[in-house]
Amino acid sequence: MTSRDQQIIGNTNSFNSFNSLNLTSTTNFISESDDEGRQILQWLSPLEPQQRHQGVRSDRLNSVGNWVQETSEFRKWRGAEDGSVEPVLFCYGNPGVGKTYVR
Amino acid sequence: MGGDVAVVGIYCDFHAGQEQSTANILGAMLKQLASRGGISKLIRETFKKAKKEFGGRGLQLQDMLNIVKKTITSLRRLFICIDALDECTPKNRRELIESLREIVRVLPGARVFLTGRPHIDGEIVTCFSRTLRIPLSPTHRDIMTYLERRLDSDTDPKAMDDELRADIMRIIPEKISDM
Repeated sequence: MTSRDQQIIGNTNSFNSFNSLNLTSTTNFISESDDEGRQILQWLSPLEPQQRHQGVRSDRLNSVGNWVQETSEFRKWRGAEDGSVEPVLFCYGNPGVGKTYVR
Repeated sequence: MGGDVAVVGIYCDFHAGQEQSTANILGAMLKQLASRGGISKLIRETFKKAKKEFGGRGLQLQDMLNIVKKTITSLRRLFICIDALDECTPKNRRELIESLREIVRVLPGARVFLTGRPHIDGEIVTCFSRTLRIPLSPTHRDIMTYLERRLDSDTDPKAMDDELRADIMRIIPEKISDM
């Protein structure tokens, strides 16, 4: 992991880092008394991608697929902060190649 | 707030059905953003209004997208990761890609990471003509690392010997490279 990655992760309550706290649901940050808060989250969306993410994280093996982060495309995509670089990075492959599990 | 970075993630799934509407996908992004910054006044008020006027029905895509666009203005960077975009319906894919284009217009520091099968490339390009691409397939090293880890965590180590292990480490990578 580069220092820049660490910096990004350090500054962020990222998808990854909040899952490392073992939260299984986005509702966990809502206080017990905030019924409305819970209703609002359900109203915003019934989808809970964090649950799937938790499963993927625990099945994923360290260092497998890390090379993606070393590619010039990834670095270019991650680095630019303005409109100078296309904002979309598409990692494509046929079923079963491990697209879900790259890191 | 000018230095804030957020990461949101979505997993698409063939089996998700109606629930996986574009509005719900954007709503799931908002939930993740709320988990770091709290539920905004805008969202609370929109909820109250929806409850009173529409019996609490979910928001339409355009209304949801407007909330997303307002919510992200406080961010410097936003990383949106969407796994298996090809597992959305074609209609939802188009709506989602167009929504992403709107999001990037509002926040030039936004970055979108997509995975999917190659056939959706043309749909992405309609909105993002200079899309960066990485073809994914496991490298030889990925396969070797994976096998080693799996063998090391074998729940029945007595069934393994050096010869069998060597055969596995030789034959499986060969078979995969033939595929």
